[in-house]
Amino acid sequence: MIAADVVDTVIFRALEAVNAEREPDDQVLISSSTPLFGVDAAVDSLEFVSVITDVETSMNLEHGMGISLADDRAMSRPVSPYSTVAALRDYILELAQEA
Amino acid sequence: MELNGLYVVLRPLRVEDAEVTLAWRQSDRAILMSRGATTVDEQVAWIASTPETEFNFVIQLHSGQTVGMLSLINIDETHRRAEPARFLIGEPDAVRGLPVAVEALKLLYELAFDRLGLNRVHGAVVAENQQMLKWHLYLGMKEEGRLRQHKYIAGRFHDIVCVGMLESEYRTVALPRMNALMRGGIHEQGTHQEGVG
Repeated sequence: MIAADVVDTVIFRALEAVNAEREPDDQVLISSSTPLFGVDAAVDSLEFVSVITDVETSMNLEHGMGISLADDRAMSRPVSPYSTVAALRDYILELAQEA
Repeated sequence: MELNGLYVVLRPLRVEDAEVTLAWRQSDRAILMSRGATTVDEQVAWIASTPETEFNFVIQLHSGQTVGMLSLINIDETHRRAEPARFLIGEPDAVRGLPVAVEALKLLYELAFDRLGLNRVHGAVVAENQQMLKWHLYLGMKEEGRLRQHKYIAGRFHDIVCVGMLESEYRTVALPRMNALMRGGIHEQGTHQEGVG
């Protein structure tokens, strides 16, 4: 079973890659409560897809988890898995439990 | 032709858009795009000279605010292919957290595959533009090749990654992902989307 802090690390690293493309004075503040989607989102559309892509790739290559984070199931949840880093982590952990 | 979505309208690019689109093209966000016009007059001339065989759109919110641009060019009816191009969100703060870029591309793909009956779309992305490359690959494009040092931009040569997507891949990969991202946006916007629909 994959641990929550491991998933956090994967997501944080994806956000650090976003920051690497930004100016020093325009960095995303990375934490479990960082909003990924919605009116308060810390990232734009291209950055969001970059995060999703990097997380899916890392989970697959480093942890052997082939997951899809943009499908009907993700959208059928009462809380969007995109709302915050913590929500995305919880969704990935849920997928891991079923794997 | 106007293409209407939940968040945006793709409406034809007009000469009146010259000033704002030139500003977008000259911004840091567009540094890896071809530079094109350098003055408003040149941009007006370019817009006026775009062939009617191309679809050049401005991405406009339902509030009327213009936020970006997107085109479908090199439409080949014989080989049933075309090239999405000039994709730029010029007002990122106005669309932050909204799936505007996803919907704009979805509307363009609907035009290409559903209305024009094309079999393939293809494009070229500067290799260094990793976010744009990831974006296209995640939304259905496949990498088809690399043109080494193919463009000279901002003082040096850049590799170009060639990408393409077949109509079948649009329906099985791109469309479900774009729909999911769209629903994610609706999910998160809650009542906000009522104001723009």
